[in-house]
Amino acid sequence: MAVDTLPPRAGTPGRASASPRSRNHAMAVRRQTRIALAFIAPSMLGFVVFYFWPTLRGIYISFTDFDVFSAPVFTGLANYARLFTDETFANSARATLLYVVLNIALQTVLALGLAVLMHRLTQSAVIRSIVVLPYLIANVVVALVWFWMLDFQIGIVNQGIEWLGGTAIAFFGDENWAIPTIALVNTWRHLGYTALLIFAGLQMIPKEIYEAARTEGANEWQMFRRLTLPLLRPVLSLVLVITLIGSFQVFDTVAVTTSGGPADATRVVQYYIFDLAFQRLDFGYASAVSVVLLVVLAIITAVQLKLTRANESDLN
Amino acid sequence: MTTHTRQTIRSRGTRRTTARRFTAAAATLAATALLSGCVQGGTSEGAWAETGNLSYWMWDSNQVPAYQACATDFEAANPGITISIEQYGYDDYWNKLMTSFVANSAPDVFVDHSSKYGDYASRGLIENLDPLIADSTVDLDQFVAGTTELWTGADGHAYGLPKDWDTVGIFYNQDKTDEAGVSADDLAAMTWNPDDGGSYERVIAHLTVDKNGVRGDEDGFDSSRVATYGLGLDDSGAGYGQVTWAMLAATTGWTYMDEATWGSEFHYDDERFQATIGWWRSLIEKGFMPPLSQTVGTALSSKLQVGAYAMVTDGSWNINTYDKLQGVNINTAPTPTGVDGKRASTFNSLADSISTSSEKKGAAWKWVQYLASVDCQSVVADAGIVFPSITSVGEVAEQRFAETGFDVSAFTTHIDNNTTVLFPLSEGAVEINAVMTNSMDKVMAFSADPASLSAVNEKVNTLLTDNAH
Amino acid sequence: MTTLSTRPLAAPARTRRPRPSAGKITAWIAMSVFLLVSLFPFYWMLRTALSNGASLASDPGSLLPVDFTWGAFERVLGLATTEEAQAQGGSGASLNFWGYLLNSVFVATLITSGQVFFGALAAYAFARLRWPGRDAVFFLFLIALMVPPIFTQLPNFLLMRDLGLINTYAGIVLPFFFMTPFAIFFLRQFFLGISTEIEEAARLDGASDLRIFFKVILPMSAGPLATLAILQYIQAWNEYFWPLLVGSDQSVRVLTVALGVFRSQTPQGTPDWAGLMAAALLAALPILLLFIVFSRKIVNSIGFSGIK
Repeated sequence: MAVDTLPPRAGTPGRASASPRSRNHAMAVRRQTRIALAFIAPSMLGFVVFYFWPTLRGIYISFTDFDVFSAPVFTGLANYARLFTDETFANSARATLLYVVLNIALQTVLALGLAVLMHRLTQSAVIRSIVVLPYLIANVVVALVWFWMLDFQIGIVNQGIEWLGGTAIAFFGDENWAIPTIALVNTWRHLGYTALLIFAGLQMIPKEIYEAARTEGANEWQMFRRLTLPLLRPVLSLVLVITLIGSFQVFDTVAVTTSGGPADATRVVQYYIFDLAFQRLDFGYASAVSVVLLVVLAIITAVQLKLTRANESDLN
Repeated sequence: MTTHTRQTIRSRGTRRTTARRFTAAAATLAATALLSGCVQGGTSEGAWAETGNLSYWMWDSNQVPAYQACATDFEAANPGITISIEQYGYDDYWNKLMTSFVANSAPDVFVDHSSKYGDYASRGLIENLDPLIADSTVDLDQFVAGTTELWTGADGHAYGLPKDWDTVGIFYNQDKTDEAGVSADDLAAMTWNPDDGGSYERVIAHLTVDKNGVRGDEDGFDSSRVATYGLGLDDSGAGYGQVTWAMLAATTGWTYMDEATWGSEFHYDDERFQATIGWWRSLIEKGFMPPLSQTVGTALSSKLQVGAYAMVTDGSWNINTYDKLQGVNINTAPTPTGVDGKRASTFNSLADSISTSSEKKGAAWKWVQYLASVDCQSVVADAGIVFPSITSVGEVAEQRFAETGFDVSAFTTHIDNNTTVLFPLSEGAVEINAVMTNSMDKVMAFSADPASLSAVNEKVNTLLTDNAH
Repeated sequence: MTTLSTRPLAAPARTRRPRPSAGKITAWIAMSVFLLVSLFPFYWMLRTALSNGASLASDPGSLLPVDFTWGAFERVLGLATTEEAQAQGGSGASLNFWGYLLNSVFVATLITSGQVFFGALAAYAFARLRWPGRDAVFFLFLIALMVPPIFTQLPNFLLMRDLGLINTYAGIVLPFFFMTPFAIFFLRQFFLGISTEIEEAARLDGASDLRIFFKVILPMSAGPLATLAILQYIQAWNEYFWPLLVGSDQSVRVLTVALGVFRSQTPQGTPDWAGLMAAALLAALPILLLFIVFSRKIVNSIGFSGIK
C-alpha cells in the first residue's frame, strides 16, 4: 500500500499536493491569466504587428524581386546568391566591420578608464552629468557639429593641428580617415553613457575587497588588474553586447555627413540597405541584406550571452 | 498526494505547451493570411483636378525668389490654385524625390533633370506630356535648339517643357591672373590635348603658386605645399563630368554612348576618354589641382574667393553665386579649344515634370505651361539667374548677365557655334551613377587606374541592358 | 576622573595630510581632459552660431564668435529676410522651428506615454502574475530586443504605405507606441524587486489583481516610471531614421529630420555653418533643458538600466 493513497486533509501544511490548496492555486492562476492577458494585450499587439509580422514579411520579400511600384515577383534564392558576387555588399560589410571594431575598442577602453576615474576620484553627480551630456543629443546634431569642427579648411580641429605644426587632415574626405572619423564621432557621443554603465557596475563591488587588498600592500594598478577587471566581467560583457548591437546600426551620422562616400568608404550596411530600398527600388535585395545583418547580430548576441552566463558567478 | 502532484504538474506542463502551440499556430495562420493578401505594389492613378494647392519642388536656392515671383503672378491669374514651393539641396533632392514616390507622397510638380527622368518615365511615375501639348497652344519651336531633344524620352514622348538651358565655362580670379600676367585674351586662346595639356596646362601651371611663392612652371616648385591651385576641383564628375572633363573629352571625338541620347552602350572603355581622365588626374600629381579628399565640405566659389583656386570650371547656373562673392574680382572665359580645333561644353536643360500620382494634374499642367511661358521666363531672366529656354527671351537674360561684368559670351558661344554636347540620357541612371561615382572617385583618389574604367564600362552596360524597358 | 578620549588613536601614518600623489594629479588631469572634450563642442556650437557666417573663413581659429551677430538665429527662426540671410552666408531657407518643435513634442509625448503605460502593464504581468506561456512569451520579447531596427523598418514602412499612414502622426508613432522591449525589461526588473508582502496584504484585504496594480503597485513605482519616461522621451526625441522615412512632409516633420533638410538646403556648395550650428543648438535645446531639470535622476538611473 503506497503511502500516498491516504486522502489529503484540508489545511494540511507542507505538501503542495493538498487538494483545496491546488484548487485555490488553479483558480488563482485562471484568474491571473485573464488579467495577464488583458495586461499583455497591447504589448502583444505591438509585438505581432510591428515586430513579428514585419520580420516574416521581410523574410518573404527577401525571396522576391520587389520595386514597390508593381507586385513582388518570387525569385527564390536569387537575392542571396547575389550577395556573394556583390562588391558593394562586400565593401559595406568591410566598412561596417572596421567601424564596429574601432568604435567598440575605443569606446570600451576609454569608458572603462573614465568610469574608474570617476569611481576613484569623485562621486559627484555634476561630473557624471557633464560626461553623459553628449549622449542626450541626437546623432544628427552630433554629426553636424563634428562635421563642422573637423572641416578641412576652417574647422577648429585642423586649425589646432596646423597651429601645432602638423598638416591638416581631410577627416571626412580621405578614404582612409572617413570610417575612423565616424567611429570617433560616435565614440564621443556614447562614451559618457557607457562609462556610467560601467560606473554602476563598479559601485556594486564591495569596498571591503579593496581595503583588504590595500592593507596587503597592493597598489592601484594591481588592484585594477586583479580585482576590478575580473569582478567587472559580467557588466563589461553586457556593455559589450549593447554597444556592439548599437554600432552595427550606424546610419544617422553617415547620412548627414558623408552619405556613403568618399568612394563608398562609409557605405555601411544600414546605409546600403536604405540606398538599395529607397534609391534603387530594390526592396527584395535590401531585405536579403537585412536578413544577413539580423543573422550576424543574433549569432553575436548568442555568443555574448553564453560568455556572460559563464562568468556570472564571479561576483559571488 | 503524489499522484495528484504528478497530475497537477503534468497538466500544468501540458497547459503551458498547449498555450505555446496555440500561440504559434495562431500566429502562423495570421501571418500567412496577411502575407499573401497584403504585399501589394503600385501607385495611385492620380486625378485631373483643375484647382487646389500644388506642391512644387526645386533644388536651386538661388532661383527660389524668382520662381516665387512667378508663383505669385500665376496665383493672381488663376484663383483657386496655390503653389507651395519647397527647396531641398541638390545632393538630397533625388533621394527625397525617390522616397516620396515610394511613399506615394510625391510632389505635384517638380524640377526634373534630363539625366534622371528616364527612370521615372519607365516606371510610369511622371506624366507623358504629348497629349497635353497637342491640345494646347505650346509652340515647341520657340525653345532653344536641343532643349526639347533632351526632354524627349526613350519612347519618343515629351516628359517636360524645357524652361532654361545651361553650359559650362571657366570662372577665374582676375586678381590672381593679373598678378600672373595672364590676360583675358590669353585665356580665350587656350588650347588643350591629352598628351601635354597644351597651353591650357601651361596656364594652369603658371597660375599655381606654392607656399614659398614659386609658380608651378618655375624651378623649385613644391607640389606638396601649394597655396593657390591653378585649377580647382569639386568632385570626380561621376559618369557625366559635366563641369569637369566632358568639355575636354568631347573634343577628342569621343562620345558618351553610341547615340546622343538613349543609346544602348557606353564608351568608358574608349582610350580617348581614359587618356583625358589620365591627363586630368595628372594635374593632381603635378600639384596644379588639389587632391580629391580635400574637396569635401567646401564649394568651388568660396575657394575661388579666398584665393585657394585661381580658376574653376563651373556651370552658367552659378553665375549669380560668383557674382555675389565679395572682396574679389571674378570673370569668365570659355572652355579651351580642344583636339578637333573647336571648343565643347555639356549642354543641359531643366524642365518641370508632373507626377502621375498627383490629384490635381489639371492645375499642374497649367502651372507647367506657365513656367515655360514667356511671362514667367521673363521674370526669371530678369533676375539674371539662368538662361531661359525661349529664344526670344534670351536677350533679357544676356543683358542682366552682362550687368554682372562677366563675359557672358563664354557661355553663349556654344549655342552660337553649335559646340554643345547633350547629356547622355539613359535608363537605370541611379544604378549607373552609383557605379560611376564610386569608380571615378577611386581613379581620382589614385586607388585605381583610368584603365580600370574599361571593366567598369562592362558593368555599366550590363546595368543598361538590365534596366531597359 | 579623566574620561577616556573618544578620539581613536591616530596611526602614525595618518598624523599628517598626505600630499596628493603624482598618480592622483595625473588622474585629475585625465578627468579634466575628458570633461573638456565633452563640453568643448557645445561651446563651439554656440560660438559659431553667434558668428557672422560670411566672415567665418577669415578667422577660423578664434575662440570667440567672429563678428558677433544674432543673424544665424534669426535666419533659422525665419525672422530674417532673404537678403539679410544671403548676406551672412545663408540661403534664405529657414527652419520652421516652432512648428517642428511642436511636432517633436507631440510625437515624443505620444510615444513615451504609450511605451510607459503599456510597458508597465506588460512588465507586471511578467513579474507578478502567473499564467501559462509566460516564460515563452517573455523569451519572444527578449528576441525582439535583438532584432536590428532596420530589419523591421522596411516592412513597417510598406505597412504604413498600405495603410495610407505615410506623413501622418500615426505613421510615425505607431511602431513605437505599443511596446518597446527595453521598457518591459526595465520595469519587470523593478517589479520583481518589490517584496510580495505588500501584495499579499492587499490581497488578504480582498483587493482584486487589477486594484492591486493600479492602487498599490503603480504609485509605488512612481520613481522608476518617471525615470523610464525621461529616458524614453529622450530616445523618441532623437529618432531620425524612421521619421525620415515616414514623416518628411512639413506638417509632421520633427526637429531631427528638419535639421537634415536644413543642412542640405545650403547655398550652392558651402554649408551655412553659422545657420547650421544655430539650428543644431535649437534642436538640442529642449533636451538640454529637460536634462538640467532632471539631471540627477537620469544620471543615477543609467547604471540600473544596464544591469539585467
